Amino acid sequence: MAPSGGHAPYAGTRTPRVEDLRLLTGTGTYVDDVVRPGMLHAHFVRSPLPRARILGIDTSEALQLDGVHAVFVAEDLNPGVHEQWYTLDGRDAPDTPRPPLAEGEVRFAGDPVAMVVAVDRYVAEDAAELVLVDYEPLPPVVDYAAALGSLESVHAAYPDNLAGQLGGRPMSDLDPVFANAPHVVSQTIHQQAHGPVPMETRGIVAEWTAAGGEMAIWAATQSPHEVRAFCARLLGIDEHRVRVVMRDTGGGFGQKVLPQREDMCVLLAATKLPAALKWIEDRQEHLLAAGQARHEHGEARMAFDGDGRILAATLDHVQDAGAYPTPSPVQSGIAVGMLFPGPYRIPEGTFSSRFVFSNTSGRVAYRGPWQYESMAREVLLDTAARQLGLDPVELRRRNMLSADDLPTANCNGMPYDHMSPRETFEQALTMLDYDAFRKEQARARETGRYLGVGTCTYVEPTAGATPFHATEGATIRIEPSGKVNVYVAGGSCGNSLETTVVQLTADALGVAVEDVSTVQGDTAVTPYGAGTGGSRSGSMTAGAIAKTAGVLRERILAIAAHRLEVPVEDVEFNRGRATAKGGDAVLTLAEIADLAYYQVHALPPGASAGLEASGRYHTPHLMIWANATHVCTCEVDLVTGEVTLLRYIVSEDCGPMINPSVVEGQIFGGTVQGIGGALYEHLAYDDEGNPVATTFMDYLLPTATEVPVIEVGHVETPSPGPGGYKGVGEGGAIGSAPAVVNAVADALAPLGVRVDRLPLTPARIVQLVEQAQGVTAR
Amino acid sequence: MKPAAFTYHAPTSVGEAVGLLAEHGDEAKALAGGQSLVPMLALRLAAFGHLVDLRLVDALQGIERREDGSVRIGAGTTQATVQRSEEIRAAVPLLARATPLIGHFQIRSRGTVGGSLAHADAAAEYPAVALTLDADLEAESPRGRRTIPAADFFTGVWSTALAEDELLTGVNFPVWGGRCGFAVEEFARRSGDFAIAGATVALRVTADGRLDRCAIGLFGLGPTATRALATETGLLGTDPTDAVPDDLGRAATENLASVPSDLHGSARYRTRVGAAMVARAWRRAVQEALHG
Repeated sequence: MAPSGGHAPYAGTRTPRVEDLRLLTGTGTYVDDVVRPGMLHAHFVRSPLPRARILGIDTSEALQLDGVHAVFVAEDLNPGVHEQWYTLDGRDAPDTPRPPLAEGEVRFAGDPVAMVVAVDRYVAEDAAELVLVDYEPLPPVVDYAAALGSLESVHAAYPDNLAGQLGGRPMSDLDPVFANAPHVVSQTIHQQAHGPVPMETRGIVAEWTAAGGEMAIWAATQSPHEVRAFCARLLGIDEHRVRVVMRDTGGGFGQKVLPQREDMCVLLAATKLPAALKWIEDRQEHLLAAGQARHEHGEARMAFDGDGRILAATLDHVQDAGAYPTPSPVQSGIAVGMLFPGPYRIPEGTFSSRFVFSNTSGRVAYRGPWQYESMAREVLLDTAARQLGLDPVELRRRNMLSADDLPTANCNGMPYDHMSPRETFEQALTMLDYDAFRKEQARARETGRYLGVGTCTYVEPTAGATPFHATEGATIRIEPSGKVNVYVAGGSCGNSLETTVVQLTADALGVAVEDVSTVQGDTAVTPYGAGTGGSRSGSMTAGAIAKTAGVLRERILAIAAHRLEVPVEDVEFNRGRATAKGGDAVLTLAEIADLAYYQVHALPPGASAGLEASGRYHTPHLMIWANATHVCTCEVDLVTGEVTLLRYIVSEDCGPMINPSVVEGQIFGGTVQGIGGALYEHLAYDDEGNPVATTFMDYLLPTATEVPVIEVGHVETPSPGPGGYKGVGEGGAIGSAPAVVNAVADALAPLGVRVDRLPLTPARIVQLVEQAQGVTAR
Repeated sequence: MKPAAFTYHAPTSVGEAVGLLAEHGDEAKALAGGQSLVPMLALRLAAFGHLVDLRLVDALQGIERREDGSVRIGAGTTQATVQRSEEIRAAVPLLARATPLIGHFQIRSRGTVGGSLAHADAAAEYPAVALTLDADLEAESPRGRRTIPAADFFTGVWSTALAEDELLTGVNFPVWGGRCGFAVEEFARRSGDFAIAGATVALRVTADGRLDRCAIGLFGLGPTATRALATETGLLGTDPTDAVPDDLGRAATENLASVPSDLHGSARYRTRVGAAMVARAWRRAVQEALHG
């Protein structure tokens, strides 16, 4: 689709982001910037207890406060639910409980019990303090890892707290392989709960117009069309009477893929109110109730032959679903086990995943939701290397797939193709100069310094073709002036989707980027689309734009050929100018558009007036594979337990890059989140079920001072999809935490330390070192 | 995360400010840079009917060298102003070195010297510096003025010797002459966080290389910043190069009561880190005293 005529395509260049001027000058439009006439404000009364029976709720005092419009409890809102399900899972899939407001029982500290509606947020918060809830405390199920044996149940309908389980062939099938293998290595690692914590918290404004039966919604979302569909089902109104608008969303990371319980409350309440209702989550609510991710553990096992070749791999995995997971983990959770074999030749394997309720914040999607597969596998491989007396890099070289091994399928049935694990591995090690680092490490140890290196190589399915995600539409309107508007569903949360769309359209049509604008995030004017998620937007919008622009380009060429009086094959159209081969005449897109709209009589016979087209791409690919290797080095201070990251290298294969700056931005952001997961972030609860990280004083995100320069290398294996592009949104967050954990474990290996629990806080590291040295902690 | 309603006062003199504090009693709170108070109000961890903003009280601003050689800093002086001050760098180097460790630059642009001292967070740097240098704190109320030695000022978690109607107006740092060394070391989870534990060391050596003045401050290791007085006393008159810093660190942090435990570390861990910070600060202070 690259246009001819001497202009290089925009794809592949560092085209400046079209979003930057407004986002970097503070003039973006986020949901909290939306103001509607007479707008009311919601604030939730939340449970201070992890589990309790609600004996009664007295709202009378709150209702008397000046400025309070309403106080809703479960009896007011929950019966209004018509249908409640997510398109991703479908109407008939088994789902986990998700009441708008807590009914009868609260199930985590932060569970919404009532919603106050007032003239402003201040009054709403004042009134919330006057709502009296009579609780009878019940013993909470705090630790999901112990929940399966608990006598207490988070939900009565699940007496054993098991939300569901998924797995491959029976583990016992592999007993003979493990029994006869020269080496068997097992590793259990507990990963802590952390949250996606986008800069912008959740938020929604809903405005109901009773006369027309119309709902207008402004939302912080990754998927405006899913919000629309969800609202229509929830309220039992027609989808086309719901309009959802989002311009800027300040980060989503999976958390904003689906509407949650508070969103339901606002939608349900809006139909009972005379004006728009706004709810903007504050940071404390966010850390209490916006959801947790990554909280899981598993026993990973591998059998090796005498040369260190993997014979079999199994994962027995348990994941915390929290009280109210969004969505149910029982469908999407299978990816952990399916991807556990990763980029290695593993002849046999299987897995089991159990999803367990606890009286904590519900699990939500988070950038690479299956990331635990890489954590379990890559930490196990380092442990195995130490046990087998091999360098971890050498052990991986003996087992890692390269492009030459493809296509193949992993032992759990995932079909691999068009990727380059071994190639990224070698590139990253070369960038580091691995052998030189090992020498430096040895010298440092002689002077009492502990340096370490860790790697993680993963493979990742992007742009997966679930029924929800398998198509994407685009509408392109070339306006009468020749300026171009591209309409796609959007859902950009800072992922530069506007820039991507502008670049792809400029190339596909043959016009200048300056002449292309994009409209996204408004369901009333854009084609249906699933939004950002699953690392799908690059590939899928490229498909939609190629299909749509191709139609328009043909019409542009036909009009130009007719006007220039040459055969269409002789017309060149580039950067908005049509010329005839060998001729001097030039026809600009503005002139062509003028013909199409105002001089219809001068169009070629049979040509339709106007220059507008819509198209929908349906991917024939079940998934598009991407892969990367992360390598990091660190120094550990044994006195304080502080980890200092020294170098951080990512070698990524996302196929050809549409915009290297955008690709790097995605990698940097994901990588920093993984660094946070390995070392800093912990959405912790105490033993009684009280959340203890409810502000950014305690929920620690890595900042610029904690993160080294991230060096990026690229290997380019085109995918079979549009443009050869692949998804790159999630990978950084998958590969980073295991690489950091392995680096710390490598640094501490001479002391006999074995890492089994995350995050690796300074206090935890000191404890591990003391344990290894036989010091008994008090 | 919206504060409960309050009445906002913006007095322009100390007299007016303390008058308001006296009038409204425990319903009133002085508002300086707001870097701790405002988040506590927003989280509704605290609520006051009256906030007395000190921003317009000019008398609380400024850094001045006094006739006795000491340096007086007005309570309303921002931490950023302290950080930029040549006078402070030359005359009170420990204060200058501790200042960049307070939060982030945005916080220091609003946060004040008096606010930090009066808020008295156990893990804050300034209370430890004031204790270490034997600073005097000036307080004023409608009942008059008084001077409170730092050693008597910090009385517990977020609590001080200030009475309800009393305002911290300034702090007076004595300037140490002679061959001195000053150091502050802290360990925080991230740059700008409150310290897990920290230590300050100030010392002076005589011409023949003996310690004739020595102070070791600890922060993050109890309900308030403290001095390791027993350890200090044992060091006076000795050659500072004879002390083994790691042993000294352990000695300075043993028998601490009420070392906090939380998500970021147990009391045992904090004590270990505190000992290491004392040792590190000691090495640097001795190095400076002996070799400049």
